[in-house]
Amino acid sequence: MADHSDYFDKVAQTVVECDKDACLRLLAEGIDIDPLETLEKGLGKGIKAIGDDFGTGKVFLPELIGAADVMKAGVAVLDGRIKASGNVRKSQGKIVIGTVKGDIHDIGKSVVASMLQASGYDVVDLGIDVEDAAFVKAVEEHEADCVGMSSLLTLNIDYMGVVIQKLKDASTRSQVKVIVGGAPVTQEFADEIGADAFGYDASDAVKKMKTLLGK
Amino acid sequence: MKGFAGKRVGSCFAITDEESRQIHAAVVRVLEQGGMRCDDQRAAKLYAKVGCTVEDDGRLVKIPEQVVMEAFKTCPSDFTVHGRDPKNDVAIGKGEVHFATMTGRYLRDIRTGERRKATRQDAIDGARMADALENVHGLYKSVMWIYDEPKIINSQILVGEMMKNTTKGMTWVYNTGAPNEIPDLIKIWQIAAGGADALKKKPHVLGHVIVNPPRVVDVNYTDWMIEFADAGIPITVYSATMAGATGPATLAGMMVQVIAETVALVVLTQAYKPGHPLCFCSFNPSMDMRTGLWSFGNPEYSTLGTGIAKMAQFYGVPCVAFGNTDSCDTDQQAAYEKAMVLFNYALAGISLTWTLGGTAGFNFVAWDQMVLDNEVADFIGHYLKGIRVDPERLSEELIMKVGPLPGSYMNEAHTRKWYREEFLIPELSNREFFETWERGHTDLQEKATKKAIEILDTHGSPVAPEIQKEIDDYLAFVRKRDVA
Repeated sequence: MADHSDYFDKVAQTVVECDKDACLRLLAEGIDIDPLETLEKGLGKGIKAIGDDFGTGKVFLPELIGAADVMKAGVAVLDGRIKASGNVRKSQGKIVIGTVKGDIHDIGKSVVASMLQASGYDVVDLGIDVEDAAFVKAVEEHEADCVGMSSLLTLNIDYMGVVIQKLKDASTRSQVKVIVGGAPVTQEFADEIGADAFGYDASDAVKKMKTLLGK
Repeated sequence: MKGFAGKRVGSCFAITDEESRQIHAAVVRVLEQGGMRCDDQRAAKLYAKVGCTVEDDGRLVKIPEQVVMEAFKTCPSDFTVHGRDPKNDVAIGKGEVHFATMTGRYLRDIRTGERRKATRQDAIDGARMADALENVHGLYKSVMWIYDEPKIINSQILVGEMMKNTTKGMTWVYNTGAPNEIPDLIKIWQIAAGGADALKKKPHVLGHVIVNPPRVVDVNYTDWMIEFADAGIPITVYSATMAGATGPATLAGMMVQVIAETVALVVLTQAYKPGHPLCFCSFNPSMDMRTGLWSFGNPEYSTLGTGIAKMAQFYGVPCVAFGNTDSCDTDQQAAYEKAMVLFNYALAGISLTWTLGGTAGFNFVAWDQMVLDNEVADFIGHYLKGIRVDPERLSEELIMKVGPLPGSYMNEAHTRKWYREEFLIPELSNREFFETWERGHTDLQEKATKKAIEILDTHGSPVAPEIQKEIDDYLAFVRKRDVA
């Protein structure tokens, strides 16, 4: 088997440099290289390096978000190839995330999404002002392991309970974990509405996710 | 060493151009008609040589305007206080703002928290701290006195230890008055520089020559002026006049007296050695009217400083300053007083301010305070940049591309390119989310203490061992000579 370590390093570097164009170009050139290995030793290595540097304060949110975006685009390309080759990609877990109905605050939820991606999770971001039905539909469609809900508005967070009820009604509540967050959210509130976890900031959300999903 | 620059350096003074001219006119009247008492015959002769009138058997010198203006003609508009490593060079009068350490007789032991008198080890620690911190561009005395060494060799040991433990430039103000203080210090600075010629070529010291207010040219400082000039050490000339005690209680009156006294020293220095580099300095506390003590953390102190900076600009010479707080500890008062004084100075473009680490008006120094002041310097550096307006920063194309919602700037290459330069990302200041912080946090003071201890545990001396040994040998000689 040929040694592609230089190629994987280059792919990793495009993630570190947040260079989506270069990443997609390299992936197009590497059509004959094992996609699972490219995912692990290229994209995966790059995103881990960024995650580590974020943890030690060498890089900040703009790099983390940029790298997660490159990772996401790269994974989409490689996923197709992995499926075509009859293989299955092992995921850390699939998370459906969104800012709940009544609130259009995007930033905190997007930061959490990027940090989850950077930690190896697949994230389906439903965006802002997301209705209960949209959460339920996305959970079924993507066979999600977890639902993440966010809101910044004190008078709006009760809607998270509405979503949980809707999941119960659709009999999907038992299949997914639910994590909630946002400035007015507390552990007490999370317990009250029957969520499984509360992330008090983006880093904490990743920590809690690892506990929730056992990986 | 690269100081802080930006469009706001030299943008804000407490007097206008027209008021500078008014103050100059008053200064001339005081110097021409009131004159300066001169306690030193060498100084009187120098004044006479350049055209001043000397009366009262050589003790009263009257300085005509023409002599004043001739003296400023020979003053360089800028100069460098060199580091003994070129990366630590500090440009004075070239549009950069720098910060240096303050001193104290007492300090807080960084490991035990005890407030106590300073020792020789503290002189070493202070120099190492200053050497390690990135916004410390130079040093004052790392401690004021070394209480575990005899007075007669105190200055020599202090300067020796500073020279052994940092390559950043330092400044010196008359200290003990011990008989061998001046020649010994010059010798130590020469050893550190690599010889007398090396010191002349790249002076790493800024010397202080001060008037005895009101309106006396002091004998001791005449000695120092001559020694500094002969050794090639640039000088800051100033008057440590205290408003309401040794100077008027009006700020305008203070300006007139302080500038007149400062100008008298400019004339003296240029009479002795035309072309010798010098600068003005702000060091004018007001008297606290409840206690009679000097006060530095007040608004009038640094307001006067920016007036002095404006007058330095008027005469075409640089300006430096002392910045301090009256608070006796590392606390809120220290933080707000120092931040306001330093910001005021920085806007006035004062080239170098001695401030980092000090509290209690020259009495107390703390390494955690130095760490915190180092961070404040970072903040000030960012303020000085102002809003930089150019096509790429105006971001027109980007704004039209990204918005309206749900577009976001978070994943734009433009954001990644610019945020580090345009934003301050503080090292120690808290920006945690409230609940996160409330759940458990490290207090700012604890963070600063931890960083100071880390520096002292890990930051070694950058000075070559053979230079250190030569200084030690000289200190051993001084001790043998002076201590019975």
